[in-house]
Amino acid sequence: MSSQSCVTIHKEWDIVAARQMGREIAKQLGFGTVDQARITTAISELARNIYLYAGEGKVYFEVIESLDKKGITIVATDTGPGIKDLSLVMEDGYTTSGGLGAGLPGVRRLMDEFDIESETGKGTKIVTTKWVR
Amino acid sequence: MGTNDLDARSYTDLLKGYIETRDERALYGAEQISKSFIKNNISPEEIVNMHIQALLEIYPELTDKIQPTMNFLLEAMMAYGLAHQEYQLLREKQLRIRSEIEVAAGMQSMLLQSEVPKMDELDIGVISVPANQMNGDYHHFVKGKDGTISIAIADIIGKGIPAALSMSMIKYAMDSFPENEMSTNTILASLNRVVERNVDPSMFITMFYAQYNPDTGKFYYSSAGHEPGFFYSDKTKSFKEFEAKGLVLGVNPDTTYMQSELDIEKGDMVILLTDGVTECRKGDVFIERDEVLEVIKTYMHLPAQDIVNHVYRYFEKIQNFQLRDDFTLIILKKVV
Amino acid sequence: MNLKIQIEDGNSKSIVRLSGEIDVYTAPKLKDALLPLTKRQGTILEVDLELVNYMDSTGLGVFVNALKLSKENRCNLILVNLQDTVLRLFQITGLHEIMDLNSTIRGVEE
Repeated sequence: MSSQSCVTIHKEWDIVAARQMGREIAKQLGFGTVDQARITTAISELARNIYLYAGEGKVYFEVIESLDKKGITIVATDTGPGIKDLSLVMEDGYTTSGGLGAGLPGVRRLMDEFDIESETGKGTKIVTTKWVR
Repeated sequence: MGTNDLDARSYTDLLKGYIETRDERALYGAEQISKSFIKNNISPEEIVNMHIQALLEIYPELTDKIQPTMNFLLEAMMAYGLAHQEYQLLREKQLRIRSEIEVAAGMQSMLLQSEVPKMDELDIGVISVPANQMNGDYHHFVKGKDGTISIAIADIIGKGIPAALSMSMIKYAMDSFPENEMSTNTILASLNRVVERNVDPSMFITMFYAQYNPDTGKFYYSSAGHEPGFFYSDKTKSFKEFEAKGLVLGVNPDTTYMQSELDIEKGDMVILLTDGVTECRKGDVFIERDEVLEVIKTYMHLPAQDIVNHVYRYFEKIQNFQLRDDFTLIILKKVV
Repeated sequence: MNLKIQIEDGNSKSIVRLSGEIDVYTAPKLKDALLPLTKRQGTILEVDLELVNYMDSTGLGVFVNALKLSKENRCNLILVNLQDTVLRLFQITGLHEIMDLNSTIRGVEE
């Protein structure tokens, strides 16, 4: 069973809207305070990347509820310039935003599952999930 | 998760204890638990959460007022937590790189190993110390079948790994030359062609190459832009700079070199060095080449190896034990 | 220490004025500024070193690189106003024989 919600990102305040929606969903799913903060931070990073590098994109939330586990999946998509060297941006210590922010490796550490697809000139799609423990 | 729960429990207990006693012992306990947090990779936001849980237990009535402030603090800690994790990962990565370099440095020093020839008439002292792990200075000795000794001292531009890589190239090129059949200037000319073909356009190598024939007492030498060494004449009790001119290796494939010669007599001394010796810095002031000579003079009555050791120790000390450049010093003393 | 690079860009002649130290840390910056200028066919590239008080072998390497490129591109590379310590480096390495050096201002014998 799954349900979907979506926030379009094109100005800085949209990042806040995405955070708020994600936190609400995480709280309802039964995530603890610390995990709520982690999920929200991950959403922030993904939404900021869209805002800073792609200009416009979307952040979706999917709730996953099966018999044995519950979780939240965040999907961030944009039609921006794409990422040329994926292994470089996934490398710790490499941040294009001048060292501020956790970057994608940070998002991967905050969440349980992480997947990225990107094509130069076409855009980037990131899918990341955290499970309720 | 286990250690986390354990830490959370003792955190609450310690906090309770401190509220009751307000004594230093409880605070010392807090310091200990802080170290345990680091050891168990507990992030700042988790610590704040422990504090929230402890407050819930100790002051349930205050929770309404305090909890929002604590949640705020927890959010404010998020970036620190991430940065700390990244720092841990980078530290592990650094250790990995360092051990790789250590292996490479070990291989390099094996490759560099050049046994100092033992002979009655010549007392030889050598010291070569890299500024970092990898040495960009090179020296070698070869004793030919006829007793002639060949000595090379070279400085590869820059330092560290790129310099060390070029050095292996020099070593193999030199090993491939027919022993003693070439004069010092033809050896430099051949090396120059190898280097010119194989290095980055901004790289070059300086080298001083010499051959000493113990039967005739003749010392032949050529220089490819290398920091000039000194010759000490016992007869005149004076030092003279080697006047050997030549272009550095690797710039122009058609460069030719000159060979000079010198008679070495009993008590004479040959001093060969790299610019790590003459470019030692005392704070911001460079040491004059004369100062190098002064230090050598102080110790020149000692055996050659003791002289180079003392000179090195002197310059190591005035640079606060932090070499800026690789340091190589060779001293030959004719004793018979 | 730092290196300041000031470029006066002309049609047939460019002047690069340097001040500070050229060492392993500042050499990459000099390389990035200097090398593109050596690729302009038939031009003169003058590098003024009057305010450079220290240079190490890495800095010398940048000039060796610039010399090779300028020869390939028939650009005329000239170094002017070298201080004694810097000039000595070019002399020891034999580079003064193959490079166009002009130290008239400092009045160093050659």
